[in-house]
Amino acid sequence: MAKNRLRSALSRVVDLKPGEGVIAVFLFLYFFFITSPYYIIKSLRNASYLSGLGDEKLPLAYFLTAILMGFIVTFHSRLMVRLPRSRLIIFSLAFFFSNIIIFCWLFERGWKWVPVVFWVWANIFAIVLVTQFWILVNDVFNPREAKRMIGFIGSGAQLGAILGGMLAGVLAKKAAWLLLPLAAVMLGLGIMVVSGIFRWRRHKTEEIDREARGKVAGSTKVGFRDAFETTRQSPYLLLLAGIMMVTLVVSTLIDWQFNSIVSFEVKGENNLTSFFGYFNAGTMFFAFLFQLLLTSPIIKTFRIRGALLFYPLILFLGTGGIGLAALTGIVLLVPAILIKASDKSLAYSLNQSVRELLYIPISPEQKYKSKIFIDMFLNRFAKGLGAVILAVLLWLVPRAPGPQGGQGAIRYISLIVLIIIAVWAFLNFRIGREYANLVKAKLHKQYERGDLLVDQRLDVDFTKLVFDTVESKNRSSVLYSMNLFDLIRQDKLTPEVRKLISYRTDEIRAASLGGMFEQTETGLGPKTEDELSEDVLKKEVQEIMNLDVYQDVMKEYLEKTLADKSAGAEVARMEAAKAIGFMDSRAPLVGKLEDLLEDGSPEVSRYAIQSAAALKRRVDVPVLVHKLKSPALREDAIDALRKFGPRIAGTMSDYLADRGEDTELRKTAAAILASIGTQESADYLSWELTGAGDALVDEVIDALDRIRTADSRVRFPGETIRLMISKETRLFYQNLVDLHSEVQPLEESVSRRREKRLSDSLWNIFKLLGLIYPQEDMIKAYQNLKVGTKNSIAYSLELLDNILERDIRDLVFPVVEDLPLEEKVKRCRYLLAGFRAGKDSDG
Amino acid sequence: MRIEARHKNDIVIFDLEGEIKRSDITDVTLHQLVKEQLDSGKRKIILNFDAVEFIDSFGVGEILASYISTHNLGGKLKLVRISKKLFLIFQVTMLTKVLDIYEEEETALKSFF
Repeated sequence: MAKNRLRSALSRVVDLKPGEGVIAVFLFLYFFFITSPYYIIKSLRNASYLSGLGDEKLPLAYFLTAILMGFIVTFHSRLMVRLPRSRLIIFSLAFFFSNIIIFCWLFERGWKWVPVVFWVWANIFAIVLVTQFWILVNDVFNPREAKRMIGFIGSGAQLGAILGGMLAGVLAKKAAWLLLPLAAVMLGLGIMVVSGIFRWRRHKTEEIDREARGKVAGSTKVGFRDAFETTRQSPYLLLLAGIMMVTLVVSTLIDWQFNSIVSFEVKGENNLTSFFGYFNAGTMFFAFLFQLLLTSPIIKTFRIRGALLFYPLILFLGTGGIGLAALTGIVLLVPAILIKASDKSLAYSLNQSVRELLYIPISPEQKYKSKIFIDMFLNRFAKGLGAVILAVLLWLVPRAPGPQGGQGAIRYISLIVLIIIAVWAFLNFRIGREYANLVKAKLHKQYERGDLLVDQRLDVDFTKLVFDTVESKNRSSVLYSMNLFDLIRQDKLTPEVRKLISYRTDEIRAASLGGMFEQTETGLGPKTEDELSEDVLKKEVQEIMNLDVYQDVMKEYLEKTLADKSAGAEVARMEAAKAIGFMDSRAPLVGKLEDLLEDGSPEVSRYAIQSAAALKRRVDVPVLVHKLKSPALREDAIDALRKFGPRIAGTMSDYLADRGEDTELRKTAAAILASIGTQESADYLSWELTGAGDALVDEVIDALDRIRTADSRVRFPGETIRLMISKETRLFYQNLVDLHSEVQPLEESVSRRREKRLSDSLWNIFKLLGLIYPQEDMIKAYQNLKVGTKNSIAYSLELLDNILERDIRDLVFPVVEDLPLEEKVKRCRYLLAGFRAGKDSDG
Repeated sequence: MRIEARHKNDIVIFDLEGEIKRSDITDVTLHQLVKEQLDSGKRKIILNFDAVEFIDSFGVGEILASYISTHNLGGKLKLVRISKKLFLIFQVTMLTKVLDIYEEEETALKSFF
């Protein structure tokens, strides 16, 4: 009950599923209680350093942090190998808790070096605890879950930062001594929350720990080198590392600009602490609002690729502004606050979320190792690099004396920052593209489509001809010879086929082509040395049959044969039907084919259909179409019509569009247009798509899908396809709602039909998507959604989320989203109501 | 190509030799020779291919033209000792259904009676 209330309350701000409410709140609090003390510490860190050592010594602090962080990373990664996740995190929190108590005592002593140590320690505090937090999030949630909750969980950090900053701002001037003890208390609360997380999820946590240990145990040693090698070997991770480097170098330079300006404008340690406290709180308040209101919409609307460009773009504009302000000599504090606030708020909201999302397509092991390298080592190294760049720049452009003395350096540094941001934007653009590719690579086809496999791998014509050849062996040596010749003519008389055909060698073989190719004696005529090459045979037969004199000689025979409709003359008519297929389509005797097509014997008719296919005379098309209605000859007629190719696309489209025609015939016309597979046939099918009606829609969509599979160059009308996707999704919604209607339960037979329709609609939707988006991706997504694992379903959704346009995505996601059935039906009902309302208002 | 005519009773036997092909057209073709015999009143003709080394579609055309001429005059034209290759071509083109083909000359001669 209480859980339901919690979920209900949370569902207003975050997209939660049953069972996720408690862990979401725990993680929110965990993040809150590590960021709130950090923001107190951070304000103290900056103020103590600037008042004690001055802004000119800042590069030293950056550099020392970078150096020490290398050791910390190595030590931390070893601890991660040895300790279960729960113990490591609680140990780390307790360690930092005790450190705060020690610093309370050290600051009391007033030693000069304390601010330097405190600076470095504060950075270690932040990086270790935040990295541990995200590793736990990655352990607990799969990509889709993380993506849904990242906004909510991340906002815990912003709230913590606001509180920490505000406390620093308020207390610095009145009771500065209270700040560090307060931070210790907050961290203590964090320890309690983390203990709660591991207790509540004990069973799950054990799994996580086992899994994490298992992953690590798989590699003999996960240290810095391993983490570095993992990153180095993956171009994607290298890009990620590059972006992190560039981001932090920019951030370091901006940080120096900001601190430099503030140290000139604000005097006194407590004033500085207070200023930084308020500033951090304000920045984080803005970041919180941004995270809560804008991060998800930006990621949803612009997807990762677009969202990645936001942060550098804002900083580019801000840096340009500060450079301009420095150039014109106006007061720098306001632009400095603005750019620093933008940097910090975007870093902790949009950039943090997007960066975590970029880890989604990495394997758990890679993610684990590279996170250690990138988030912990590289993070500090980049700051160190920033410090070196800064030191070099400050050496090149020495500061002039006086309050405005730093403006020259600031102008110069702004220019450098602009150049680095351009590189950063380029890297972000590259990684956005790589991200989509990596998500695609994560998905594998679950199975090959049987129908397409048969089409691709089985040469139906060839198989039929081999069967005909074998079958004719016992009926007529002439027919047998003709079938063998047909195999030769089509270059299909392979050694294997010869072996197959000659399997029963004791039967009619006298004077047959089979005999000749099997190198046996015929007994007819003398032994001959004249080897008959297949090419010569083809040429000779063709030439003979085209002779006028041949046509004259055979005319009488054929007339007599065709006139004899007795069963005994059936084979002769079959021979005639076969022979005509070898003639030139303009030969006079070819006219006899019309009679043979209409022959009462299906076997004669079948041979005639094959010949019609070989001759491809338009005059035979209506008869072949008529044969589609004959169950015995339908398949042969389909094959024959397919062989006509693009020439009959128009005719087939007429049959397809003819509402008065037999439905089965219209379906066959769609299948034939599919096998023709040209742009023209795709156009005809597309025109028919919206008006196809229930009886025909599956076949038309399937035909379009087959064309797309066969030739990716064929284009389909986007508007029509989108309209059909909309229709099919609505049909899906309707069927789902009807199937699970509590008001009017369906009869069992109706229910089964609806379930079938539901399944067909889903397949249709993906076939249609495959017409306007990469088909291979759509097939992968469909198959993994149907039969994939929880993670592969998540990757499928991620892939669709990245590829589909917003309007299509909004239509399709209620169909495919991994939701409880009850929730899914509810959404579909709501969407249907929306459609109806839209329709009514249109009307 | 060389063609020799022999007579056995009222039957004319043409012994063909060499190659019967388009590129080797002689002054007098097989069809002309058959027609000459038909003009002289002969109606029973045998074409003996025993010594024929090669025959192309042109040669087959000559045989078919001879067949039609003979057939139109109510005569009979028979083929003997044709090569395996030619027989196979005749099968594929269905000419075995129309032409009288014999393995030996004697059998062909007897078939006229």
